[in-house]
Amino acid sequence: MTRSAEAALLVTAGVVAAFGTALVGFTRGVGLDAQVALTFLVFVGAFGSVHLALRRWAPSANPYVFPLAAFLTAIGLTEVYRLDPNLGSIQRWSLLIAGVVASGVIFLLRGDGVVILRRYRYLFLAAGVALLMLPLLPSTWALHGIEANGSRLWVGIDLPGSRSLSFQPGEIAKLCLAIFLASYLADYHLAMGTTRRRIGRLDVPPLRQFGPILLAAGAAFAVLVYQRDLGASLLLFALFVGAIYLATGKLAYIAFGGVLVFVGGLVSYQAFSHVQRRVAAWLDPFADFSDTGYQVAQGLFALGSGSLTGSGIGQGRPDLIPAAATDFIFAAVAEEMGLAGAIAVIAAFALLVAAGFGIALHTRDLFRKFLAACLTLVLAVQALLILAGVLRLFPITGITLPFMSYGGTSLVANMVLLALLARISHGARS
Amino acid sequence: MPALFLNLLKLIFLALIYLFLWQVARSIGNHVGAPQASRSGKRVGEMVVVRSDTIAGDRFPIGAPAVMGRSDEADIVIDDPYASDFHVRVGLQDGTVLANDLGSTNGTYVNGRRVTVPTPLIRGDSLQIGKTILEVR
Repeated sequence: MTRSAEAALLVTAGVVAAFGTALVGFTRGVGLDAQVALTFLVFVGAFGSVHLALRRWAPSANPYVFPLAAFLTAIGLTEVYRLDPNLGSIQRWSLLIAGVVASGVIFLLRGDGVVILRRYRYLFLAAGVALLMLPLLPSTWALHGIEANGSRLWVGIDLPGSRSLSFQPGEIAKLCLAIFLASYLADYHLAMGTTRRRIGRLDVPPLRQFGPILLAAGAAFAVLVYQRDLGASLLLFALFVGAIYLATGKLAYIAFGGVLVFVGGLVSYQAFSHVQRRVAAWLDPFADFSDTGYQVAQGLFALGSGSLTGSGIGQGRPDLIPAAATDFIFAAVAEEMGLAGAIAVIAAFALLVAAGFGIALHTRDLFRKFLAACLTLVLAVQALLILAGVLRLFPITGITLPFMSYGGTSLVANMVLLALLARISHGARS
Repeated sequence: MPALFLNLLKLIFLALIYLFLWQVARSIGNHVGAPQASRSGKRVGEMVVVRSDTIAGDRFPIGAPAVMGRSDEADIVIDDPYASDFHVRVGLQDGTVLANDLGSTNGTYVNGRRVTVPTPLIRGDSLQIGKTILEVR
């Protein structure tokens, strides 16, 4: 019964995407064209295959995670297509690939489920670290790092025939690290939860238990230094600290992590010009409007001009914002769909995160419980960081808004994340 | 009037977005509100003793909460030296089958894990009392 509800919701999300594509067509003056049908078919294809995979191999999985993702993808894809039809059609192909990959993951985990992942803990750690370091490969190799907008987080592969393919390994690394963390904490959460002293109202664990956090901080700092990627760095650190807190319930870890972020933030502000520029643009985007503050300021203009129902898709000027289709997709949505659209997006993210933590709470097995929590944490922190950046509550971090930003790797990685969550929720009680 | 037409479409698009969110919210409401047994699509009916020296194969229907234990005064007598006189209470409460340990000496285990708080049971769960194991069907 719930699966039928899921199917209905997925079709509705496809209709939203098709309607959005049609609106873009109207404002461009081309009217209803084949793109509308194509968008709908891609949605039905991508999410339909996931739906059938769930019906076949995980029938009692949570029926809300994929419809909510489909909804966010529909709004994001509409806005990406409106900003640049070429990017929109590439994103459509990415969605199709993401749907097939997610179905494949559900198929591969059909037997024992995600439990088998627990055994390969250190393989996932190694893979995660290797993926994080991949963009550092020299630019002349066939497999090489690419520097874009001052950050080095892309990897290109030269294919025969002078074609090339590029992807963002950090998006996949976060999944590997979440699996490692869940597996590690399932074995050691009791040891990490023991405390000997109290300082004020805080239970303080022995010093050596802070080791993993220090390690994570070191890795996050390395990402910040070598790839100049503030977003991935913070996401990585928040995942580690958040996961340890979830597993042990000791606030001391959060406090210690907060202190490290503060100190690390101060040091990197002094040491790196790219951090200084981000902070300056955050504190006062209009001080250097034409240069460092331009992106944030244009984002604010977009947010402000949206009003309640927005300018209408295709009738605003979100194209004025640099990186509108990736980092600032939320500002573009808020301008053209207004406060109503922006709140709908935030509500969908909130429901998705609630569903994720709900799955974690209802799962008995510790590894799967922690894995569901870690995956949800990744999704929540990533969405929070970039939304806060666009709303100028935090320096802009330059990571993708899950399911909405233009970017194939991000879409595939987040769909795989949901596939894992859905698989955990199937048979959660055994 | 293309401008009016576009404005109308814009509002219809937003209406569609909220229609979707309303559908999700309503559907989650139904999902959460549905009783456990029908949520999983399988009705819980009875417990079957799958491991015991003396009462293997015995079947006990699950209905109103019943006390299981070694005492003759228990609703369901479990012939097992490791069971307490009044060991565990099992039965339907608000549409959910709950196992509630009554402070037994050797504990109640659901799927191999000791439970000390009321624990919901679904079809396929195992319930261990002393050395006796029952399966929920």
